[in-house]
Amino acid sequence: MKKRLTAAVMAAAVAATALTGCGGGSASGGGSSSGGNGGAAPAAEAPTEPFGDTIKYDPSVAINDGKDITVELWEWGSDELFQQVIDGYQAIHPNVTIKLVNNPWEDYWTKLPLALDGANGPAIFNVHNSYHENLINYMAPLEIPLEDLEADFTGVEAHVIDGKVYYIDYGMMTGAVYYNKDMWEAAGLTDADIPKTWDEMREVAKKLTIKDGDRLIQAGLNFNDDFHQNYLLGLNYQLGENLFLEDGKTPNVTSDAMKQVMQMLVDMYEVDGVGSKDFGEKCADSFGQGQSAMVMQWGHYYNTLNTTWTDINFGVFEIPTFDGNPYAYNRYNGESSFGINKNASAEQQAVAQDFVKYFLANDDAQIAFNLAMSTFPAKKSLADSEAIMANPSLSILSEHIDHYIWPGPMPATVETSLKTAGQNIFFNGMDVGTALEEAQQSIIRDMSSSSFTSVEHLYKYAK
Amino acid sequence: MFKKSHPLQSKSEIALRNIVVLGMILFFSVFLIAPIAIAFAGSFHEWNPLSGTYRFLGLQNYKEVLISSLFWKSLWNTVIFSVVVIIFRVGLGLAIAYAVYSSLVKYKSFFRTVFYMPVVTPMVAVAFVWKFMYNPQIGTINQIFGLDINWLMNPKTALIAVIIMTIWKDFGYAVVMYMAGLYSLPSDALEAAKVDGANSWQNFRYITFPLLKPMTLFVTITSIISYIQAYVQILIMTEGGPGTATYLSSYIIYDEAFVKYNFGYASALSFVLFIITGIFTWLSFKVSGNEE
Repeated sequence: MKKRLTAAVMAAAVAATALTGCGGGSASGGGSSSGGNGGAAPAAEAPTEPFGDTIKYDPSVAINDGKDITVELWEWGSDELFQQVIDGYQAIHPNVTIKLVNNPWEDYWTKLPLALDGANGPAIFNVHNSYHENLINYMAPLEIPLEDLEADFTGVEAHVIDGKVYYIDYGMMTGAVYYNKDMWEAAGLTDADIPKTWDEMREVAKKLTIKDGDRLIQAGLNFNDDFHQNYLLGLNYQLGENLFLEDGKTPNVTSDAMKQVMQMLVDMYEVDGVGSKDFGEKCADSFGQGQSAMVMQWGHYYNTLNTTWTDINFGVFEIPTFDGNPYAYNRYNGESSFGINKNASAEQQAVAQDFVKYFLANDDAQIAFNLAMSTFPAKKSLADSEAIMANPSLSILSEHIDHYIWPGPMPATVETSLKTAGQNIFFNGMDVGTALEEAQQSIIRDMSSSSFTSVEHLYKYAK
Repeated sequence: MFKKSHPLQSKSEIALRNIVVLGMILFFSVFLIAPIAIAFAGSFHEWNPLSGTYRFLGLQNYKEVLISSLFWKSLWNTVIFSVVVIIFRVGLGLAIAYAVYSSLVKYKSFFRTVFYMPVVTPMVAVAFVWKFMYNPQIGTINQIFGLDINWLMNPKTALIAVIIMTIWKDFGYAVVMYMAGLYSLPSDALEAAKVDGANSWQNFRYITFPLLKPMTLFVTITSIISYIQAYVQILIMTEGGPGTATYLSSYIIYDEAFVKYNFGYASALSFVLFIITGIFTWLSFKVSGNEE
């Protein structure tokens, strides 16, 4: 009963908040967190027994010898969610005060490195792996043994640097297809028509498309503005091609797989006519405004629909494949655990290390954070959690979640250069090969001084 | 510190002057000269202030700027953007100012206020509104004119669309400046022309316009400096797209510095742009015969 109450509190907090994943987008979600298996309550109730799987958190161990201490935790959104975890921790350790500091995403990445470079930076801070290179020099490695992290969480190996781990993924964000159920039904489609392949997808999209003469009234499928993120950077894996060559540094965006994916997108609009580059500036908005029947979006969109576009009666299904037997289904990106400031005092770092351990061992916190972001839990024991499975955007991933690849914290130029390539193709009349070659050269130039190395070779089923 | 230049100045006046001047020197040193010097030094380095990278590259950044096709493309876009906007800003500004100045027009303050309102409206807000007006599905412009154009995502219309918005927002500045100029014209010259039988066009062509030359030069030069730095409207309306069709020079600097954190390359771009701005400004003086 106590756990259910905790779950309800967490769910309310999560639903009321907006955990921003990548700056512009917001995602807040609901859902019960009753699936925890022995986790401590992040609400203001203090557990007395150790909890966790391999990573155990022992509440009886005093922090800072019981003496008062204050540390800061910096994040860019979702105050209530963070505060719940902080409250749970402070209930165990009343001598510790964790001050939550919110900076908007746009300011966060300018202020944080500067603060970390000084003597008074936050001891704990939220991490997004796209800013890995800007943060890693300020981070202290986790004191939790590597084998314990690997025992409890997937994808840890990709975060190992010289035998040390500075942060890990608590959740995996990837794409799925969202469809408008009312439009689906109006087109005479049933659940049996859920497409498994891209050929089937194109046929379904045609049925969902409505035109008045040449004028598009309803797009069967819309990928405007984010085809680079959801299609180009992911479907290549279905065709067995990585985003980077074997050296892990040279982009592979001129691959035959990439060209095939790009050509398929062009054909969907220009041959099938299921959408238009001029119809719905942003596909996510167009779907929410009831103008497009299907979109492929990352997990956070589930919560966006539930909070922003509440009139849309939507369903979600797993991304189709080319042949039913893909090398991998898609790319995923990890939502990161907290970072620890190596320039903070030893006492503050000790609190930070303990807080991160508490967060990773705490199943309810893990579930709440994953539901808030609609990310699939990286914590292995939560993969079949009841609360997670109740979220359709996550349950449809569960069967093949090990067939998704994380390429590593790619520099932004990979996305932006492919976005430019797509615009050159759709709007500027450039051919696919030339546009992708331009993107390749742009990425090579921008990454010339980058320390990034792909971790695609760590994929479980890597060739 | 400063030599006394006026016998009537008291010690307190001199002290006040010295404090003010010192304050200004300090202010400009810290917030203008030092950042310029730091950026200049940074332009010779691979520089990412967030990751702490600062590695000497010599002239590599400048070489990359000069061989970058995107830089030259953006420079050409900047020239087109600046020339067209300035011509319309000056032309419209002068024409409307002259019309409002005319004795035929009443409610001069009202018109001056109306034309100046877009100028004081933030560019961000104006750009968002115009972006909505250009929307291919529901935008006002297509609906009014019965068109079917994706203004901001068509490479043939995107830059034009941004230019139109910028002209609308900025021409009021020239109106107000020219009105100030018109009200300060020497009345004896205008009356003499009238006595000599000059018609309205001759009056404007040979008297008014030449006397407004300093104002025209001022508006032109401040416009050149302003439009070479323009990037907010691009950031909001097109993000440089479609593809790179609407990249302006300042937008590349923004993109390199604050998106890619490539501060060294961005600094090199800035100094190349600084030199180009200087050349254009000098040319403006030269053409107008006011190089002294």
